Amino acid sequence: MISTLVWKGITKNGRMPIPRTMVDKLQTRRRVLASGAAVSAATIAGCIGEDAEGDDGGDVADISEYQYDREEPDDEDAARESSLEFLQPAERDEDFDPVVSFDSYSMQVANLVFDGLYEWDDEMGLEPKIADGMPEEEDDGETYVFEIQDGIEFHNGDEVTAGDVAHSFTAPVEEETENAATYAMIESTEVVDDHTLEVALEHPYGPFTLVTMAVPVVPEDVRTEDRDEFNTDPIGSGPFEFVDFQSGEYVELERWDDYWDEPQPYVEEIRFEDAPDDANRVAQVLAGDADVIDTVPATEWDEVEGADDVRIHGSRSPSYMYLGFNCNEGETTDPDVRRAVSHSFSMQAFVDEHLGPAAAPLSSPIPEITNDEGDWDFPVDEWEEQMPEYDPDQAEQLLEDAGVPDGWEPRIIAPEGGPREALAERIGSRLTEIGYGADVQGMSFATLVDTYTTGNADDYEMYLLGWTGGPDPDAYFYNLFHESQEEVGQGHFYEGQGEFHDNIVAARESADHDERRDLYIELTEEVLEYLPALPAYSEHNTMAARENVRDLHAHPAVSYNPRIVSDYQNTWIEE
Amino acid sequence: MGLLRYTVYRFIQAIPVLIGISILTFVLANLTPGDPVRLMLQGVEADQEMIEQVEARYGLDRPMHERYLDYMAGLVQGDMGHSFHRNRPVSELIASRIGPTLLLVLSAYAFALVTSIPLGILAAKRRNEPFDHVSRIVALLGVSTPSFWIGIMLILIFAVQLGWLPSADLVYPWWSPEAYGHDGYVEHLVETIRHLLLPMIALGTLQMATLMRVERTQMIESLQGEYVKLARAYGVPERTIMRKHAFQVAQLPIITIVGLNLSTALGGAVLIEFVFNINGLGRLFYDAIVQLDYQLIMGITMIIATMFVIGVIITDIAYAYIDPRVTYGEAE
Repeated sequence: MISTLVWKGITKNGRMPIPRTMVDKLQTRRRVLASGAAVSAATIAGCIGEDAEGDDGGDVADISEYQYDREEPDDEDAARESSLEFLQPAERDEDFDPVVSFDSYSMQVANLVFDGLYEWDDEMGLEPKIADGMPEEEDDGETYVFEIQDGIEFHNGDEVTAGDVAHSFTAPVEEETENAATYAMIESTEVVDDHTLEVALEHPYGPFTLVTMAVPVVPEDVRTEDRDEFNTDPIGSGPFEFVDFQSGEYVELERWDDYWDEPQPYVEEIRFEDAPDDANRVAQVLAGDADVIDTVPATEWDEVEGADDVRIHGSRSPSYMYLGFNCNEGETTDPDVRRAVSHSFSMQAFVDEHLGPAAAPLSSPIPEITNDEGDWDFPVDEWEEQMPEYDPDQAEQLLEDAGVPDGWEPRIIAPEGGPREALAERIGSRLTEIGYGADVQGMSFATLVDTYTTGNADDYEMYLLGWTGGPDPDAYFYNLFHESQEEVGQGHFYEGQGEFHDNIVAARESADHDERRDLYIELTEEVLEYLPALPAYSEHNTMAARENVRDLHAHPAVSYNPRIVSDYQNTWIEE
Repeated sequence: MGLLRYTVYRFIQAIPVLIGISILTFVLANLTPGDPVRLMLQGVEADQEMIEQVEARYGLDRPMHERYLDYMAGLVQGDMGHSFHRNRPVSELIASRIGPTLLLVLSAYAFALVTSIPLGILAAKRRNEPFDHVSRIVALLGVSTPSFWIGIMLILIFAVQLGWLPSADLVYPWWSPEAYGHDGYVEHLVETIRHLLLPMIALGTLQMATLMRVERTQMIESLQGEYVKLARAYGVPERTIMRKHAFQVAQLPIITIVGLNLSTALGGAVLIEFVFNINGLGRLFYDAIVQLDYQLIMGITMIIATMFVIGVIITDIAYAYIDPRVTYGEAE
């Protein structure tokens, strides 16, 4: 009784009274906990729950919105005093001799120092540069006769001759450089006279007139005198001279005032430096410490686009990212399983969410720009319809019909830390949603390169990689699909139907454009039907420049940026 | 044992240590998954024949033990090998990159020492006062906050938003002013300092925080020593007590910490080098590992290991020199 009274005395209606301040604190604490729970739930949902496929979250800008009209300076004299600093996204290998260089960022420098026999225009169409017109084709594409323009000089005053062009074609093979494969089909060259060169091929070679002819021309005498010296102090006939170079630090070029071609560049000096860290590179252009940076990371796109004094410049590119399937071992040897995986996720949604305007989904093994500029007129619309659409029910049905066991967890390997690893995780999560699973492994590039060519299902059943070709489909089909590239550059080990591999070689070794077109159509349709590889997306070439950088235009080829001067641009800095 | 004999003895002791490090590094580098030649040829049209050609060119087709013995034979003659990815002598690459890293690391430590010692002394003098509490919080933040994050924040605030300081790169004082387009050495020096400020603070903050707390603790301990009480009893001015009696003894652990950390700081600066785009040894090391550039990995590892060993020896000698209680190895 007493205890009851005491209890009643100290409680209110049997409930322990709580002091006002404590009530406030409790309520505040509850609110905090409740909001914290809500935030945590939202955060967790944001981390693992991706937008429902098919919900693209709004329109993504097209890369053409980042291309601008030509601009002309009001004061040409002031424009000719421009000095430009360009930041590259990776360290150069610092081989500036085109015969030995196979690094895009060293070639960005070299392509301003050297002219090509032919060069790509702003959309990867080949146009004569040092050559006088297009070559004469003989012997059904086994012989080409080039005329060289008269009066073109190298920076040291030596005239450009057919002998220099011949040397440029043959040196990579003779010296067994990493560029040898590009010119290996050349059987012999004959210097007819100082301005006429005959090139004989071992067999007709389809890509010759779209790619191979764009050889940078080097001065044979100077180069062969001291190759090492030439490699770090090159002499060309291009609009810029190589003036200063500090290994690991910078390269400086200066306008060559005696340049033989028009237009003459406005920019007087260009300084190349590298800034591999994405955040720092972007910070430098935002802070005004650099004029132009190469490659705007997708993760920083909005910040760069929103900056007041900076513009993004973009272009389609021949980059080709793809999902390769192991057709040698494992469940993915079955084309229905490959098709099922392709149906299980939406590439468009992934690209929109993770890459935005920095990339575009692919609908064929041939990038859009390759189709447009090689004059191929491929039936891209039909191919787009053949591409697997997002259909998880269809994916599940196909996997069930194929007898894939319930516990199937294919290993998907990808380069760590970038969008391809994110795509691998997306595929993994979608497979999980339809009752399977995935073992997603992001790897260092060194490990990935060693792993994806084993053909062993324990190592991988799918892999995500990329390739950059050009205006000729051979770059994609031969390197990524031909059986000779097994264990070298391709890890799907697809055996092909009928004459698949023979047709790849036949298309390569034909000079007949129509014949090649038909072969590539057949090959593409087989790839889309049997899916040894699923085309993923193409990353655009982008630059970000301070607004006072005028008449800058991104080129589809990485090694051509910054183009600075050409028929379609003449960059300068407005002070 | 005399100082000289002790020093020689320590250096001789270091040789088997360095040999052991070289073997371990060589084996680990070569056993790391990945093929450096395939990696190098990614993006190039290649076939098996080309791969074998390139492997033979760089001697990568030979057995590991043969390559190791060849490497060591070259190393004792001063040849650190050839970077096959960069196609340059390793010694040349290291020489071009070690300067920026040393500049960064030494300035970061200078910043740490210049700030931590006075702050630590003040914190000790004003023990349990507001200044001491604030310094404790600063130290906690300094130790807890990743250096790369500090760097990114400094760039965002001082370079991007305010535009006061550069966002990247260093200006090397050993280069001529003309190389940067500077008007004379004064501008050159000013720009050197401007470019060094942010990375120096980012890298030095952790050391500053650590050393400040150690300084404080050591000063408190010193100030409570019997000899200090005696000095006070004799009426020695407080300033003299601080400077002559307490301070010197309190620096012994500081010397040890700085000596040991400095030796390993070369590799530790890699994150700051990335954040501030500094072409230093740390970045070169990271790239060498990613590219499986074996000889470059070996060269940099041996340099860092040698510097660490030398740093430890110098620290021990300095310690013995400063503290007369410490002897050179022989029992008294």
